[in-house]
Amino acid sequence: MFPYSTILQPLFWMSMGVLIALFFMGIKYWLADANIKMNGWKWSVLSGWFFFLALTVAAAFTLMGEGEWAAGKRFLLFFGIVLLLAGSGIWKLLKKA
Amino acid sequence: MHRRDFLKFTGLASGTLALGGAAAAGYMSGTDKKGNTGWGRAPYAKDQFFNRKPFLVVSPTYEKVSTPQRIQYLDNLFRRNGELGFYIRSLGERGLEKVKEEGISSLPQELKAYYTDHPKAFEEFFLTSESAQQQRANWPEHKNRYLLTDAWSKAHASPLRGRDAFPPQPQGPPEEWDFEGVNPDPLKLKSPKHGAELIKKITHTFGATLVGVTAIKDEWVYQGILRGVGKTNFEKPAHWKNAIVFAIPHEWESFYANPTYGTSYEAYTMLRFIAGKLEAFIREIGFSSRSHVPPNSYDLIIPPLAIDAGLGEQGRHGVVITPELGANTRLAAVSTDMPLDADIPVDLGIMKFCNKCKICAEECPSGAISFDDKPTKVVRGYRRWCTDQDKCFKAWNQVATSSARGCRVCLAVCPYSRKNNWIHTFARELDPRDPTGAIASAMLAMQKQFFDYPGGSQYLPPPDGNNKTYGKAPDWLRTEEWFDF
Ligand code: SF4
Ligand code: SF4
Repeated sequence: MFPYSTILQPLFWMSMGVLIALFFMGIKYWLADANIKMNGWKWSVLSGWFFFLALTVAAAFTLMGEGEWAAGKRFLLFFGIVLLLAGSGIWKLLKKA
Repeated sequence: MHRRDFLKFTGLASGTLALGGAAAAGYMSGTDKKGNTGWGRAPYAKDQFFNRKPFLVVSPTYEKVSTPQRIQYLDNLFRRNGELGFYIRSLGERGLEKVKEEGISSLPQELKAYYTDHPKAFEEFFLTSESAQQQRANWPEHKNRYLLTDAWSKAHASPLRGRDAFPPQPQGPPEEWDFEGVNPDPLKLKSPKHGAELIKKITHTFGATLVGVTAIKDEWVYQGILRGVGKTNFEKPAHWKNAIVFAIPHEWESFYANPTYGTSYEAYTMLRFIAGKLEAFIREIGFSSRSHVPPNSYDLIIPPLAIDAGLGEQGRHGVVITPELGANTRLAAVSTDMPLDADIPVDLGIMKFCNKCKICAEECPSGAISFDDKPTKVVRGYRRWCTDQDKCFKAWNQVATSSARGCRVCLAVCPYSRKNNWIHTFARELDPRDPTGAIASAMLAMQKQFFDYPGGSQYLPPPDGNNKTYGKAPDWLRTEEWFDF
């Protein structure tokens, strides 16, 4: 995020780590309130989905940062829709299994 | 608010913020100038970062189909046009019209023989001359807009001109010139392995991004002309044993803004400095050396040497594509008798990718690049991609520049030329490891569906096109950012 700063760069990634930890702490309660019992593989699927979502967002914005705005937007739209569809499927799977 | 609700909403907010962080980190990685690979950006050869070991092959990926032949000097567009231009000037003021009217049969023997075999090249010469006149006539209309880029290009070209150009042109036969100033008391080199390792390190310190070593095959030596001697038929000199081939990229942002904002001269100048210093270094440690540098001071053809040295593979546009620099790979070499371990060629799947891709052919403003599904032409014993040099040169004489300083659109649009950041590097690492070709197909589909390309003729000035560039020019080349006009 701050490629030229030796101070802000590590601070940024530490903050990202904290945010992700807080996200998973919170999501635990959302899942419990939706009566979803989680186990190892379910957490893996959910984490994988979140990882790919973050990766898609990062990739689209990398293209935009390069000056390829149209490519970035199309990438986000295409893979965003794929991930949303996959997300709703995963949600159903988590509820069912 | 209950603690539980607080944690739930904190989690949601944190997830959203984390995605925002991913977007910001991605954006910064895209803008990061460190993605502009090259120019010895990282010391000690770290710019040559791609691990070639898994892709080493016994034979290079170009296909030998018959006995190889050496390239005749008239096969080189610049030498051919230079020769014809010289003849035309010798005829006086109406020379051009005269040669056009009287045709190929009126030419001196060597030119007549060449153009009898390549009549289309003769026609293209006159079309190109007309384009060049038009280009000069159009320039006053464009010169304010392109003031900075023209000045930048001329500044880069300035060290190439005149008798003081570096490295100096050979004077006399290679058996004398290549040994001038060679240390008469050389130490004993420990081994060719040591030699190659040392020479690569030194070449990197001179500013080369990529360096490879290969033995010089006879067929990569020009025939019919020898620098320092003149027109002659000659055998490869015995001391032209090995070639040190090196590459640097063009400045990345101007390169994307081809054809009008880029120039070849900035890379040429850098390559000449690297070659000249390397030539001097090698002589100082006791071996012969001779540089072969752009724009046209060569006795060797460099792209096949680069392929033999494992730097990359040939692309559809005829240019060597390397994993680090893509098609933004400009080459030069130094020949030497120094014992050096040769590198091994690579198969990175580039030629296979080119069979499907065709983006450069679609974007070429002159139609010089083949649309064939596979290389079909056999050139001097090798089946390979072959661009139409004469058509290509015509486009150089059409785009809105003050003179024919190149086009380079095919290099800029090539998917391999994208910046060295995490997504493109990921793609470059993944594709050659996939034997099914599925990743290449998926990436190609993304290249074609997600990215915008202006399209062939759009790079030309009106009425044929709209002076489009592939990428946006950097602010430091946009005159309107700094001057009123
Ligand atoms: S330099 Fe331009 S005209 Fe020549 S082959 Fe490439 S895209 Fe075509
Ligand atoms: S643009 Fe495509 S076809 Fe042309 S050289 Fe690059 S990869 Fe090959």
